[in-house]
Amino acid sequence: MSKCGTKPGVKATGTPIKLGAIATKQPGTDFTDGVNMAQAYFDCVNDNGGINGHPIQYKYYEEQTNPAQIAGFAHKLIQSDKVVGVVGGFSIIECAVDHKYWESLGIYEIDAGIAPECYGTPNSAAPNMGPRYSSDGAVQGVVRAGAKKIAFDQSNVPGTGYIAAGPTSVAKSLNVPIQQFKDNVPIQDANSVALKLVQAAGPDGGVVLNFTPPEALKILQAAQQQGLQDRVKAWGCSTPCNTDFVAKALGTQWDGKLLVNAELNVTDSADPQDTLYRAVFNKYGSKVSGGLGSFSQMGFDMGQFTTQALESIKGNTYDIKTVNTALKNLKGIKTGTLCRPWYYGQAPAHIPNNSDWTTTPNHGKMVIKDGCIPISAADPGIAQVRGIEQKDPGLTSPTTNLPPLAAGS
Amino acid sequence: MPSWEDFKPFIVTGLALGGVYALSGVGMVVLYRATGVLNLAFGAVGAMGALLSWQLINHNGWAEGPAFLFCVLFGGAITLLYGVLFGPPLSSRDPLVKAVATLGLALILLGVMDLVWSDKARSMILPTSNNGFEVSDVFVNYTEVIAMGFAIAVVTFTSAFLRFTKTGTAMRALANDREITATLGVPVRRVEAAAWLGSGLLSGAAGLLLSNLVGLDAATLTFLVISSLAATLIGRLRSITVTFVAALVIGLVDALITPILSISEYRDMTPFVLATVALLVLSGRRGSALTGRAG
Amino acid sequence: MSVADATTPSTSRRVWLPRLDTGDRVRAGVIGILLLVVVTIVPALLSGYWVTVFTSVAIYAIVALGLGILMGRTGLVSLGQIALLALAAWVAARLFFATNMPFPIVLLASGLITMVLGSLVGLPALRLSGLYLALITLMLAGAITVVLRATNFPNGGSGFLGHTETDHGAASIRRPAIAGGDTAFLRYTIIVAALMFLVALIHVRAKPGRAWVAIRQSEPAALAAGVNITLYKMWAFALASFLTGVAGGLLAAESGQLFITTFPTSDSITLLAVVLMGGIYSLWGAVVAGLLMQFLPALLNNWGVAADWLTIVFGAGVLQVLLTAPQGLVYQFPRDMAKLGRLIAGLVGRTPARERAG
Repeated sequence: MSKCGTKPGVKATGTPIKLGAIATKQPGTDFTDGVNMAQAYFDCVNDNGGINGHPIQYKYYEEQTNPAQIAGFAHKLIQSDKVVGVVGGFSIIECAVDHKYWESLGIYEIDAGIAPECYGTPNSAAPNMGPRYSSDGAVQGVVRAGAKKIAFDQSNVPGTGYIAAGPTSVAKSLNVPIQQFKDNVPIQDANSVALKLVQAAGPDGGVVLNFTPPEALKILQAAQQQGLQDRVKAWGCSTPCNTDFVAKALGTQWDGKLLVNAELNVTDSADPQDTLYRAVFNKYGSKVSGGLGSFSQMGFDMGQFTTQALESIKGNTYDIKTVNTALKNLKGIKTGTLCRPWYYGQAPAHIPNNSDWTTTPNHGKMVIKDGCIPISAADPGIAQVRGIEQKDPGLTSPTTNLPPLAAGS
Repeated sequence: MPSWEDFKPFIVTGLALGGVYALSGVGMVVLYRATGVLNLAFGAVGAMGALLSWQLINHNGWAEGPAFLFCVLFGGAITLLYGVLFGPPLSSRDPLVKAVATLGLALILLGVMDLVWSDKARSMILPTSNNGFEVSDVFVNYTEVIAMGFAIAVVTFTSAFLRFTKTGTAMRALANDREITATLGVPVRRVEAAAWLGSGLLSGAAGLLLSNLVGLDAATLTFLVISSLAATLIGRLRSITVTFVAALVIGLVDALITPILSISEYRDMTPFVLATVALLVLSGRRGSALTGRAG
Repeated sequence: MSVADATTPSTSRRVWLPRLDTGDRVRAGVIGILLLVVVTIVPALLSGYWVTVFTSVAIYAIVALGLGILMGRTGLVSLGQIALLALAAWVAARLFFATNMPFPIVLLASGLITMVLGSLVGLPALRLSGLYLALITLMLAGAITVVLRATNFPNGGSGFLGHTETDHGAASIRRPAIAGGDTAFLRYTIIVAALMFLVALIHVRAKPGRAWVAIRQSEPAALAAGVNITLYKMWAFALASFLTGVAGGLLAAESGQLFITTFPTSDSITLLAVVLMGGIYSLWGAVVAGLLMQFLPALLNNWGVAADWLTIVFGAGVLQVLLTAPQGLVYQFPRDMAKLGRLIAGLVGRTPARERAG
């Protein structure tokens, strides 16, 4: 466990560096795994020398998708808690509500984004790619599996129009017709929904779902109970389905049949960062109620990236200016939890994670089916960041090694 | 517009959905007819029972059978407890007050569920969900059949019970006027307790079936009663048969709208729109049971 | 005949608005000074977070005021006030983007439009008995939520719905020119809330108030006394909807962007609970309700305590109010405190006595 910080086994006792975040927690949506795992990583750092002797003090607030409340928390973090960086957040609408405030303060946020503004604004970067681009990837996966028509269904939450634009442009570039659906969650009539999607896709088509795990599971189970899983060529799902919970609940009938676009690596990979992730989870992650999974993996990544930035600060000043400059300057961070090096950089939009895996259930576990595949640049959002990456190759060339590799393990 | 062939399977899914609404709807009407209490915590009680039996199976190593039985008994126990504690002191109040009081119970249960089972994805599958048969290209599983059969059995049984048995007659009298019934020598408390217990057992069973058909989630199951309430409203909170039929119609309309893409997104309005229209039509009739003291 | 059919405070004193006795004058003076302090000094002392929390408290106090008038004055119960608030926020947001009307005019307009919409709901529902009316509001709330989820809220887009989706930030709903900052907007909200309470007070003390009391006590008697029951029930519905409409306008401006997730069905139930707990016979109950609904969760969140505990407390509160304390916290709390005071005084007084005896 010595790999989180610079001085193994030495507790950091200096003046703390204060960081904060905002995460969604409300009935039906619990995104606190991300912040709790970021906290776990910081605890590990603090037990191993901290940042130049300074422990990281982490404070997060739980919001209930209420814009006024979220804006209040943002002010509280800055004004009362005096945080110098906003990292590790995980919220449905936080980016949309706060991005202007962060811009006005020069805060460069690292968050596991959901809202469109997490990707399309200068002051936010995420370890994940969010629902739109993950749905793009799921559409690509289903088409690779031979689907000639797509029925794309997503949960009716804020931002559906923005999300729908991605798969539409990707399907168009692949010459595959696509039909869009929205369904209110919680779904009460999963049987009808499954039937509707299968009818729309047809025997040569594929169904792509963008829902939280329990809702996606309802549709898939309804399809299974009605014997619909073989009535289409393939089933696709955006990242949330990439948990063993779904694989276990579905049973083996879906093995190789359900293709999940996985923004992050499977949690049992042999990669050293994933090994460290599991070790930190076991020792410090008692509050991560969702267990090992993409959500806590994202929190781990955010903790690592932030620590990396803090360690790069020369001199002993950790204020909003130095910390956020360091965060913004992050680039070329190589980690096995992501397909390609992660970066922040000065850009009008950020989708550093734009190439990922396709997983499928296999005996109650998610396993990798296809290795790293780039999300199609037919989606204008992806095309934009590919342009940014081309202009500055330094962003994506693996230059920054994370601690475990540096320590030679 | 989809073709008839496309619509056909939705009739089956619609009836299954209607059966789901019917189960809760009928359960609520039974209690209302016997005690004058519209139990808005019906869904919350069932949800808690289902979550408890999930807990017992997954964390306490219980076998499925006893755990499912526990869910049903929990529903009976908690509802009976509420009825014994809060029934008598509120008995002379307006039906509205009695209904609002059950929202108190719903909030307490919802708070406890959100505290203990903090919104993680869960699922619990009854053995009957994995088996079934095909009707016009649609697979019907036995849980759906049980839900529907259960609803029909409850309708038949309670109708007969209220009409032909002594306790049933007492219950009906009770709902009309508690004081007079008591002076006539009917053991009011015992009869009411029986109604609370029966309706509670029903809520536990409904919770178990609904968690399978709709999903094991506290908020979903708690607020599912709103859709079922639509059916009970159409049945004017009195007629068990009308409630049952209304629930099936709601389920059917909802399902048949699903493949019509232009309005598919609005199909969740079905129960609310049908109930509102029905109420307005009914309230237009002078001297209907709606305008007076509905009890 | 409803929630209000238990003990009610004496209303005989409330006759005509202009006739203020000395007690009223003193009270008005105290309230005026209190308001002045709340508007001028308190916002300056609060940190950014608590400023937004208290803005929400003031806004939800107005919503609670509306429901309180419905329940406490006429015995009508609505289980759909939060959906109506969402509808009002939609209307206000639409007006803010579509027009350049001054802020107060938009507030007034959104209040009036919501009043019309709310009354449309109320009109046919008034013929139904209390329980049915409550349930029909629940049905309509469900329908409104489904529609708003499909249409989304205006954010500067084109067309009737005015909704657009971008990834680089939508337009914010504007705030009044004189109250752009959070602290200034809190002051503005408190003043608007005070005006709304004044509007409510005028109604309660004038002819409608007396008609409501008569209806609540006995509809047949009121009818016999020549009170137009339908008119005054309608009036209460319209007033409650107007208040909710104004609150929706304030909420839209406070939030900047609106999402349907801000208005869950469960909040309508919670609102009912806090309004009951606050007390439906006094307008102050609405202030308590606003604090219970918006301040307490923020406080618990601040302490790191799960807000779910509050749900349990609210549930117990509903049962307690309906069983033993129909007047709510506004009456109950001072009484309990006085009881506690006497108890403590009794204990203190007794202890020396016992010592003497021992």
